[in-house]
Amino acid sequence: MNLLSRILRPTAIAHAHCDGPCGVYDPASARIAAEAVLSMEKKLAALQGNDLASDNTRGRFIAIKEQQAELAKKELDILWHDYFKPEHLDRFPDLHDTFWKAAKLCSKNKTESDPANGEALLQAIEKIHGMFWATKNRTDAPFYRAS
Amino acid sequence: MAKGGPQKWATLLVTAAVTAEAVGFVAWARSRFKRYEIDGQSMAPALRPGDFVIVDRQAFALRAPRPGDVVLAHDPRDPARMLVKRIASVNADGGLWLAGDNPDDSTDSREFGPVPAGAIVGQVRWRYWPLSRPFGVG
Repeated sequence: MNLLSRILRPTAIAHAHCDGPCGVYDPASARIAAEAVLSMEKKLAALQGNDLASDNTRGRFIAIKEQQAELAKKELDILWHDYFKPEHLDRFPDLHDTFWKAAKLCSKNKTESDPANGEALLQAIEKIHGMFWATKNRTDAPFYRAS
Repeated sequence: MAKGGPQKWATLLVTAAVTAEAVGFVAWARSRFKRYEIDGQSMAPALRPGDFVIVDRQAFALRAPRPGDVVLAHDPRDPARMLVKRIASVNADGGLWLAGDNPDDSTDSREFGPVPAGAIVGQVRWRYWPLSRPFGVG
């Protein structure tokens, strides 16, 4: 059988592809970044002290919050621009609005440090998670929360 | 020339004619049909990665492409690359809207727009490998 398939094997390839990393999209990466943002906001709120060591720690928390909020925005953009396609809009007419608001929340998490913003971002991502898996007719993908 | 000569010549002539016919048939078949191996998931379940198919390059000489046909086409963004997709619709100007059977796993006309009829190489007529699934491509 193996020999037969080798003999019969064509030399030309017909591509039935999806460009790029098709099939590896997952809102989980945005969620993880948003979890890190929320975690840093909570740590910042709880951080006491004004000594040099505390300032250093505070600076690090802010830097991580900034970086992870940017990452969450980027991950959301990838889903919005690359994964979702026009026919998904028929099913989710509020798709663009949802992504727009989620991206704005990412920015808000950068400019402010209130844990409520991180919570709101996670809720927005949960909504996107629901849309994403609905397009794949999957109901078995849970939305994990680390916090 | 020995006795029975004409019979010998007749045999030779028939053999030559049959051979020429056979060579001609093979040449015709080779110019009309070409085999391709499927790569990618966008046409699943009709076509799966690793399937071997036969493309009829004369299919659209006889009739116009129509919705439902599985076709081999030059990728409009890279003509050296061959795509296999299904015709979703035919525009009034003859442009063909190509779509994968598996929309969540396909780059197609949604991305690169309709393709001109000239970009179509032929129709994917049969799937011949593996043997465990139907030969038709639907």
